[in-house]
Amino acid sequence: MLKAIAAREEAALAQLYDRYRTILFGLLMRILNNREEAEDVLQEVFLQVWRKAADFDESRGRPFTWLVTLARSRGIDRLRTLASRERVAEAGAREVSEEISDAATDAFKSEQRGLVSDALAKLPDEQKRPIMLAYFDGLTQSEIATRLGAPLGTVKTRMRTGMIRLRELLAGQGESFGF
Amino acid sequence: MVHEDYKEMIPARALSALDAAEAQALNEHLENCAECRKELDEWQATAAALALDANPAEPSPQVRERILDEVRKDLSEPEVVPFRSTSRNLWSSFGSLGAMAAVVLFTALIVGLVVLWRQNNAIRTELEQSREFVQLVTSPGARVRELKGVGGANATVAYDTNGQAMLVADRLPGVPQGKAYQLWFIVGNRPPMPGKTFAPDSSGKGVLKEQMPREALDSPVFAVTVEPVEGSTAPTSPIYLRSSAVN
Repeated sequence: MLKAIAAREEAALAQLYDRYRTILFGLLMRILNNREEAEDVLQEVFLQVWRKAADFDESRGRPFTWLVTLARSRGIDRLRTLASRERVAEAGAREVSEEISDAATDAFKSEQRGLVSDALAKLPDEQKRPIMLAYFDGLTQSEIATRLGAPLGTVKTRMRTGMIRLRELLAGQGESFGF
Repeated sequence: MVHEDYKEMIPARALSALDAAEAQALNEHLENCAECRKELDEWQATAAALALDANPAEPSPQVRERILDEVRKDLSEPEVVPFRSTSRNLWSSFGSLGAMAAVVLFTALIVGLVVLWRQNNAIRTELEQSREFVQLVTSPGARVRELKGVGGANATVAYDTNGQAMLVADRLPGVPQGKAYQLWFIVGNRPPMPGKTFAPDSSGKGVLKEQMPREALDSPVFAVTVEPVEGSTAPTSPIYLRSSAVN
C-alpha cells in the first residue's frame, strides 16, 4: 500500500487512512487529550505519509511500526509545543471512546490489543510507569526521575529492564502486529 | 563510551526518553554502527506495540476530507523538485560577471521595492530591511543566489564571508495556520542544514535575516520548504523554492 502511495495513488492513501485512523487517532488522543489538536496532528501525519511514503524501508520494519512511530513523534512534538499542557476533563476522553464504531476496531482486533494489555499487566508498576510516562507523556528519563522522585540511575535501570521484559512478553507475537 | 554503553541506551531511545546530550551521542554512534541501527529498528517495533494500549478512537469525517483535499491539490500542482535529486549549485565562481550582474539587478529590484514600500504603513521597517540588504550585497566578498519556484514565486539570498545572510522573497502564497516557510542550506550530498522559518506578508513578500552555519558557506544550494512554524530539523515537504543552477 505504501508503494502505491509513493506512486501518488490517492486511493491507496484513503485506504491506508481507513485502516489505521482509529488506532493512530486513539494514540494521539491519549497523548494530547484534545480532540482538535489530535485531529490536526492526524492530518499532518497522513500528509507526511503522502509525501514521504517513498522513504519507508520495509527491510527496517513493518508499516505499522513506521506509522505509529511517525504519529507518536508528531504527537509528542505537538504536546511539547502547546502553550498549555493542561489536559481536558476526563469526561472528554470517555466521550471519544464511546464514539467508536464496531467497524473501527476491524484492523486492530481486541485480541491484539489484549496481548499488549496482558504484557503490560505483567510488568511491575515500577518498570511500567517510566515506560508509560516516556511513551505517552513524552518525558525524558531526567524528567521522569523528577516526576517520580527517584534517582536517575534507578529510572534508567527500571525502564531498560521493563522494555526487555516487554519485548520478551511480546516475542512470538510479531505477526500479530504486522497488520 | 563504548559500543555496549550505546547499545544499552537503545531501548530508551526507542521511547525517545534519552536526555539531549545522550541522545546526540547515540545519534552520532548510530551513524557509524549498523548493528545498533538494526537494534534500534527492533526496539522501535516493541515501542510501537505500546500504541495498542491506547483505546482506538474515531476522528471526525472532516479529517479524511481535509487530507484528501490536500492530496488532490498536491496532485494538481506541477511537480516540484524532490530533495533527493538536489544537486550541487554550479555557481562555483562567486566573483563572476553573472554574480555581479545579479547584484546590480537585485539592487535595482530593491530600489523598485523601496519605491513601492513608501506607500506602506510599515515603511520604516522595510526601508531598514532594504538598506541592510543593499549593504550586505555591496560588502566585499558578498555572494548572491536567486531562488525560483512554481507560479512565479522567487527569492534572493545575499550572504557575506561571515555567513551573515538575508533572504528577500516575493510572490509567495500564504501558508496554512501553524505552518511557515523554512530556509535550508545544502552542501554536496550532506543532509540539508536547517535555517530559520519566516512567513510572507499579505502581498507575498517575505524577509529573513539568518546567520548561516560555517559548514554551509561552501557553495551552498539554498532551498525553501513549508514546515511547522517552529521549524524542522529535516525537510518534511518538497522544495518550494531553490537556488537555480547557473554557470
